[in-house]
Amino acid sequence: MRIVCPFCGERELGEFTCLGDAKPVRPAAGASADEVFDYVYLRDNVAGETSEHWYHGGGCRAWLKITRNTLTHEISSVEPAAGVGAAKVGA
Amino acid sequence: MAEFSWLPRSPLEHALVAGAYGARDVEPGIALTEIRNFDLVQIMARRGRWADLANAAKARFGVSAPDTPKAVSASDVTLIWSGPDQFLALSKGGKHTMETLSQAFSQSASLSDQSHARALISVTGAQARTMLAKLSSIDLHPAVFPIGAAAATSMDHTSVNLWRGNDRPDGQAVFNLLVFATFAESLWHTMLDAAAEYGVDIGHSEEFA
Repeated sequence: MRIVCPFCGERELGEFTCLGDAKPVRPAAGASADEVFDYVYLRDNVAGETSEHWYHGGGCRAWLKITRNTLTHEISSVEPAAGVGAAKVGA
Repeated sequence: MAEFSWLPRSPLEHALVAGAYGARDVEPGIALTEIRNFDLVQIMARRGRWADLANAAKARFGVSAPDTPKAVSASDVTLIWSGPDQFLALSKGGKHTMETLSQAFSQSASLSDQSHARALISVTGAQARTMLAKLSSIDLHPAVFPIGAAAATSMDHTSVNLWRGNDRPDGQAVFNLLVFATFAESLWHTMLDAAAEYGVDIGHSEEFA
């Protein structure tokens, strides 16, 4: 499997690390124990398209947001994660 | 207070044995040269300040800072892209050190001295690209990795900053790589293993390739 880093170009899988699901959003302070448990532990086991955070640790050390199909491993988009690169905050 | 001074030593001091290595009775296909005693500063834009950093770099170095994977050379410094909104400034002779750069980038960037944190290895020779192909997954063919091309990548599971310098006078391509000091010896041995079949000419130099 190869991933096209938006900064470096096409690279082998070994340069990347998968953090996991990019969907969970940290609950606000004061959220219930159930909401925090859900955020920390519960993940959907998606059969199909999913978004994930990946880290290009063997290259430019940028965090990436990757849309991947878990059935075919097809990667349909790779973009910088929010805040990657000082000039791209909020992107 | 006890008086002492720091004595700079190469991370390859023990591993590097100058001379011939590997295949005998052949013209060495690889030259491996460690470059010693350089100044290396990591320059990273502060949040949202890349444009300011680019302006400051242009004023300071006289060339545009790399914003894509490439190495840009000026008369006394090479700027090597190392990731989004960051690059390394490689020089010699104390011209571009933390002390001399901090003022120029005080508003736009954070600086980190890497002079003693990396080893700099220059790979050249007729078989250089063939040897590197064993260790690197990226295409180093001149059509896609010309002079000035750079990459932050991994070799033998070790992060390196790799870039192609100017060709040698005999036309051979020169590949420079910066590797973390504590990984240098490991990568050095791996490169020797990969290069042995072509015959290696090992050395070290105070001058950039």
